[in-house]
Amino acid sequence: MNNEFEPKVVAFVCNWCTYAGADLTGTSRIKYASNVKIVRFPCTGRIDFMLLLKAFANGADGIIVSGCHPNDCHYTSGNFHARRRWILFRSLLDFMGIDINRIQFSWVSAAEGAKWADIVNKTVTNIRELGPYMEYRRAANFLEANEEELTKELARNKEEEVKHG
Amino acid sequence: MSKIGVFVCHCGENISATVDCKKVAEEAAKLTGVEVSLDYKYMCSDPGQTIIKEAIKEKGLTGVVVAACSPRMHEPTFRKACAEAGLNPFMCEMTNLREHCSWVHEKNDQTTEKAIDLVRMLVEKTKLNKPLNEIKVPVSKKALVIGGGIAGIQASLDIANAGHQVILVEKEASIGGHMSQLSETFPTLDCSQCILTPRMVEVAQHPNITLYNYAELESLDGFIGNFKATIRLKAKSVDPKACTGCGACYNKCPKKKIPSEFNEGLGMRTAIYTPFPQAVPNKPVIDKENCNYYKNGKCKICEKVCPTGAIEFDKPDEFVTENVGAIVLATGFNVLKPDFFPEYGYGQFKDVITGLQFERLASASGPTLGEIRRPSDGKVPQKVVFIACAGSRDPAKGIPYCSKICCMYTAKHAMLYQHKVHGGESTVFYMDIRAGGKNYEEFVRRAIEEDGANYVRGRVARIYEKDGKLIVKGVDTLLGAKPVEIEADMVVLASAGVANCGAEELAQKMHVSYDPYKFFAEAHPKLKPVETNTAGIYLCGACQAPKDIPDTVATASGAAAKVIGLFSKDELTREPLVAVVNRIASHDVSTCVGCFMCQTACPYQAIEREEVKNRAGEVIKTVARVNPGLCQGCGTCVSFCRSKSIDIQGFSNEQMYAEVLAVLNTP
Amino acid sequence: MAELNSKVKELFEKDLIDIFIGYEEGTRNPRPYFAYSAQDADNLVFNDKCQGNLAVYLTRKDLVGGKRVGISASYFALKSISQLFDENQLKEDLLIVLGMKEDGSILEFKGLDEIRTYLSEAKAPSKQKDDELLKELSEMSQAERWQFWSDELSKCFKCYACRAACPMCYCTKCIIEVNRPQWIQPWISTQGNMEWQINRVMHMAGRCSDCGSCGAACPIGIPIHLLTHMMTKTVAANFGESNEQGNVLSTFKPDDKENFIL
Repeated sequence: MNNEFEPKVVAFVCNWCTYAGADLTGTSRIKYASNVKIVRFPCTGRIDFMLLLKAFANGADGIIVSGCHPNDCHYTSGNFHARRRWILFRSLLDFMGIDINRIQFSWVSAAEGAKWADIVNKTVTNIRELGPYMEYRRAANFLEANEEELTKELARNKEEEVKHG
Repeated sequence: MSKIGVFVCHCGENISATVDCKKVAEEAAKLTGVEVSLDYKYMCSDPGQTIIKEAIKEKGLTGVVVAACSPRMHEPTFRKACAEAGLNPFMCEMTNLREHCSWVHEKNDQTTEKAIDLVRMLVEKTKLNKPLNEIKVPVSKKALVIGGGIAGIQASLDIANAGHQVILVEKEASIGGHMSQLSETFPTLDCSQCILTPRMVEVAQHPNITLYNYAELESLDGFIGNFKATIRLKAKSVDPKACTGCGACYNKCPKKKIPSEFNEGLGMRTAIYTPFPQAVPNKPVIDKENCNYYKNGKCKICEKVCPTGAIEFDKPDEFVTENVGAIVLATGFNVLKPDFFPEYGYGQFKDVITGLQFERLASASGPTLGEIRRPSDGKVPQKVVFIACAGSRDPAKGIPYCSKICCMYTAKHAMLYQHKVHGGESTVFYMDIRAGGKNYEEFVRRAIEEDGANYVRGRVARIYEKDGKLIVKGVDTLLGAKPVEIEADMVVLASAGVANCGAEELAQKMHVSYDPYKFFAEAHPKLKPVETNTAGIYLCGACQAPKDIPDTVATASGAAAKVIGLFSKDELTREPLVAVVNRIASHDVSTCVGCFMCQTACPYQAIEREEVKNRAGEVIKTVARVNPGLCQGCGTCVSFCRSKSIDIQGFSNEQMYAEVLAVLNTP
Repeated sequence: MAELNSKVKELFEKDLIDIFIGYEEGTRNPRPYFAYSAQDADNLVFNDKCQGNLAVYLTRKDLVGGKRVGISASYFALKSISQLFDENQLKEDLLIVLGMKEDGSILEFKGLDEIRTYLSEAKAPSKQKDDELLKELSEMSQAERWQFWSDELSKCFKCYACRAACPMCYCTKCIIEVNRPQWIQPWISTQGNMEWQINRVMHMAGRCSDCGSCGAACPIGIPIHLLTHMMTKTVAANFGESNEQGNVLSTFKPDDKENFIL
């Protein structure tokens, strides 16, 4: 095994377009990076934004969210609802300094097997460059963060003491 | 405590060639809650399924994970097997080791590791699966057929003859479609109208068929067994009940110079018209775009001459709503307008025509009464060049596919020409001759060998006019790309078959998927050729891809058989993968706060309001309730609900959460 | 102010309401006050020092359940009231709303339609300070923003004062209390605190009146109202100001614009 960082990428896809598209990638025997693991949802409308955060919290370095092209949703409008959700979610994450470059959104239809391979490879390459996503994971560590805070506070107290003799 | 069985399939060598299936099974066995983990060469085979069934019985499994191909392929197979062994079918899940792993990755450790991850994800999900029962929905046994060409006619007759009501919607004034335009049909050279028109009449007279001509689908709601279709009946300006079809109106109509669509612009029609003499129904409509009255408010001659007072100007379009259980799409195709080919000079040179125009020239009911006379001066052409693959198989033109019918009809055209113009010379430029089909190859040989059509393998680069002749410049690739130049009197382009105009819009209206060329997509290219991805909507004929008449009729009967099968039961069982609003404790309390934002989000109007009452019968609060007959299981409401009061069976919050965490190997 | 007192007195005397939600003088600032009689009405005040969004009390069943309620409402409270009607949380015949204009005069609303008309014409009070902070934050690099928010949110100890102060947080079971699955870590960690805020703000999308009560309620002064303020602006920028039926996330337009989906 080489020492190169192997990103963990979770793909959240809808059953009708992107999952089927990824099936087509398979039937067409197009190769792509094995870092990605697909979680199947009925529709992009079903993809809860919290699941994306859970993926980051539990070790994902990158995320792909993909579904049917606009107007092609099997359920008419799930992808339109999802699109609104992602527009707002993305700007909120960005505002909070969470790295939105690690989430790749795409529309991949059941006929776009090659596009799926392309999206995966592109995302994996991108995440490989960005490196492991430690910040978000570290934020979970209550003790570590607290300890830092505590050390700072102790140091401040000491300074105060020195100042006031 | 869960007892999960994991069954890893080699799929012959499809999976085992790149994934170490044995190791996957071994690793899966180590997972908490996994009772048994096995690998086998073909899980979907009879012995494979037996292994699963026996394990369920012997080990008392509470869940099954089959690690094999795509669940889109075999999920029903394995769920059925589990049900046969007494396990609730919805306790069975599949993970996709073939399409999503072995076929797309190289053989190495990571690929096997990924396979293990994929199994773990589904094991964790399956632990949280709940037994579900199928939902029963009533079926309204009436079919809607869209498109009245040969495909729609065949499907309608088959369904109607099986004893079910059919609504046939045709956008033109008459049914018949492209087939009614054809002269003679390959490979038997029987007259197209002779075999088609009796069918058209049968449709008109069938007690089970309601024909809406000059009508289009306006909107579609509902789902399999319970569609609600709104149909726009375009104003015909002629009351079909009063009209006797005497023809006085179109004989007197002063607008006589409108290019006839039926004759592909080679003949003329009036503003009030029937598309062709054998039209069904044989009652005229007014073309508002060209009618003097509609254009400048004066004329109304037809109204004056009509003996029955059938003309009704300024009537608006009407709408009817029909409740149907199944829909057959048979909207057909179009031919590429060859203005697509500036190099061939279509539109610029009158004597460069399309194959469909040639059909009209060769047809006994056509503008020349079946004599081959060229459009420019009505002379009989002595030299005709036929160009196959005009647009088809040309990725540069955006049509990489083969239009399938052109090889055959070009051979037919050459043959008809040779029959009709003795001493005439025909040359066919082709790329390959594709004549697969019963008696097809023999037919092409006959055109070449008996009728003397001159076949040249090569492409035509350019056509230009010189001294009243069309100079066709091409190459003969069988002679080492030798340049060929022919002075022709007429050129016929076998222009590509393309999706009908409005196909994309219709597909979106009906939530049917379509391919990049706007042909409707079948649910599976081999095993579900007449189904669409939307349950209850079937397709047939050339709206799916270019097809000849035998194939069209075969798929039409296939689609009809599917509809009849659906109508054979009074109730339809549906997968219970639907949303539910939680009811905690004694089933009368819910965490739902009744904001009903889910109601606006639901694409199926499946969310209703339900009043929760106390023992005294007073309303405590109003909460959401999902109608399981209407819910299609998209889950948009689920991820929208702030208090997580609504969840979806089969893809529940707990299941998806567990699956995501398992991807990352965190318990 | 005298206008308010006499108006409320009148409402009680005519037996039109059972409770009036308003403010009374507090030690430093005015505080919420519930008047139950014409006499109580004398204690009511309303001035620019009144903080918070009184609409929050309209969904407290223990307080107002089944009662005829009157309320003095600021611009923001009016917005919240309008939204609560959209969400089926209020009954028109049980509520009398007195809109409080910035100059202290009273607007009597006859029904929801009048409130909506007023809101569509009225100008939102300016939030200059918040806008400046927002600008400052958006000009930072992503890493700096992360630093800022992870520092700030590391201080949060999940008292949920932000939730309690918000008129839109009326769920009987909040997502933070949902434990199957446990969406958000219940213990105190920067990540869990962050996820709580992300949830809160996403749930506010298109519903928030932008009153800022959440931030004002925070006992350690974490500027979480900037998150909702930013969300309100993002919603307006992407989907327009007008409040259609339903909220932004349960509706859509086929031509919604985005630039990040491949």
